[in-house]
Amino acid sequence: MDSLYTSCAAILDRAAEKYGTDTAFTDSDGEISFKELRDLSRALAASLIARARTGRLCPVMVFLPKSIKSIVSFMGSIYAASPYVPMDYNVPMARFRATAENLRPGAVITDSAGREKLLAAGITETILVYDELVSGKADNATGIDTITTDLDPVYIMYTSGSTGTPKGVTVSHRAVLDYTKWLADTFDITKDSVIGMQSAFHFDNSVFDMFLALYLGCKTVIIPEVLFMYPQMLFDFMAEEKISVIFWVPTVMISVANSGVLEEKKLDELKLILFAGEVMPIGQLNRWMAAYPNCTFVNMYGPTESTDIALYYIVDRKYRAGETLPIGIPCANMKAIILNGKNELCKKGEQGELCIGGTGISTGYWNSPEITAEAFVQNPLNNKYHDRIYRTGDLVYEAEDGNIIFLGRADSQIKLRGNRIELGDIEAAASAMADIKSCCAMFDAKSEQIVLFLETDAEIVRRKFNMELKKYIPSYMVPQKIVSMPAFPHTPSGKIDRQTLKKEYMEGSN
Amino acid sequence: MSIQETISEFIREHFEIGDDPDFNNDVHLFNEGFVDSFGAVEIIHFIEENFNIKITQKDITLFPMNTVNEIAAVVESKI
Repeated sequence: MDSLYTSCAAILDRAAEKYGTDTAFTDSDGEISFKELRDLSRALAASLIARARTGRLCPVMVFLPKSIKSIVSFMGSIYAASPYVPMDYNVPMARFRATAENLRPGAVITDSAGREKLLAAGITETILVYDELVSGKADNATGIDTITTDLDPVYIMYTSGSTGTPKGVTVSHRAVLDYTKWLADTFDITKDSVIGMQSAFHFDNSVFDMFLALYLGCKTVIIPEVLFMYPQMLFDFMAEEKISVIFWVPTVMISVANSGVLEEKKLDELKLILFAGEVMPIGQLNRWMAAYPNCTFVNMYGPTESTDIALYYIVDRKYRAGETLPIGIPCANMKAIILNGKNELCKKGEQGELCIGGTGISTGYWNSPEITAEAFVQNPLNNKYHDRIYRTGDLVYEAEDGNIIFLGRADSQIKLRGNRIELGDIEAAASAMADIKSCCAMFDAKSEQIVLFLETDAEIVRRKFNMELKKYIPSYMVPQKIVSMPAFPHTPSGKIDRQTLKKEYMEGSN
Repeated sequence: MSIQETISEFIREHFEIGDDPDFNNDVHLFNEGFVDSFGAVEIIHFIEENFNIKITQKDITLFPMNTVNEIAAVVESKI
């Protein structure tokens, strides 16, 4: 990519010129070419500018089912110089409201069903219906002049926050441009590749599926979400679509491996398999590697704050059960520093906190200077110039061969089926329920379950309680197990005695 | 027994729903927490075996199969 490109809008302009009527994206309703995508996105931008506040301080929430319409809305927002904010179409309305309060968006783009839902929930933002936005004439769109600098925000993605308020990770055009260029330079992905998209748009793995296609001119197939529940049919679909590149969360790869489909059906076109979002278990990886011995497998690592990916490891040998797959080395535009408790650089083999720097670092949490200042700090090893690093909270060490090995978290953030969850987020929702005196969420790593302890005199029916919780938190945060009791054990200092809870109720139940 | 009854009985027993008053033939099995996503494959297995039909990826993508009635409609179109 020419370094002159300073906006993600320029990638789409270039793609429309260079790749024209080639297919850019397909979904279950049809397909769109690069040129059509540009024209439609520009038309949408013109309507947005006419009907809402736009610009770098006026983000646009996109509340649509996963589809080509979402991509047009994202690119239209970018043309209007507004950062896009992908929202989960199944998000609880209370969470939507909390997000909108933090975000103060210029507009929400949705469909008519989404509009009804938002109005019923009393959402007062400017709500625009997608079909009305793109119905304007295309020549409206010729006058759009997107003025952004490369440090302006291109998207804001909300992740779980420990106090129950989601955090808006803000990412710049520069971060996405450099990430995309690094991907194209590093992996064997070409114009003829076909990307099979698994990620939801509100997870940043989607940046890979979307911008790589726009940059390289290859096709991205938005795989219908329902197919991930049925691995056999998923593979039939992928064979038909001739998918050659996938970037999935390990959870999906695990369920595919466990279904037995890897040994039954062969995807002849598959060449490159990347995964990120959580730890990939060796057993399931080995089943994939046995089924696809000629494919390249890549373990990627990166919090949302590092624009999808900060480190990567190309799997170069077979791993045995009990070994840990490295998270590898930094991408070209990133750097990794491991700091000990005294803010000193760790020696090889010494455990410390992984801190990440480089052009892919988020500009911070939207409208939240305090938590931004805690997580994004001046590199303590550099007193010469401004050098921001992000403290990931992940514990790691550097192995002899230079690869970084992930050990776990320094706090109560967990990863479950690829989703990043703050246990405090679940506790905040549970304490708001009727009859709950106190609560405490824990993660049982052995059984991969969230266990919610409730102090209550009421009788709790798990399914009903979870339905109530789902009004406040997304379904992936809902606990797998609920333990209720009339009184919690306490420590001498009066705090909930988590150790005793854990010991008596978690270990006792196994 | 009707197709609906057969499917409903299987789901009630297999997913230990019992006589939960919220369960009916129009309730969203996955959103309402009666069946988790892993259970979806088990339901497909059951209807394929029991009704001797084949559910393809096109059926899954084109027709929603989230309620007993929706599943029954797909089964009906196949026998």
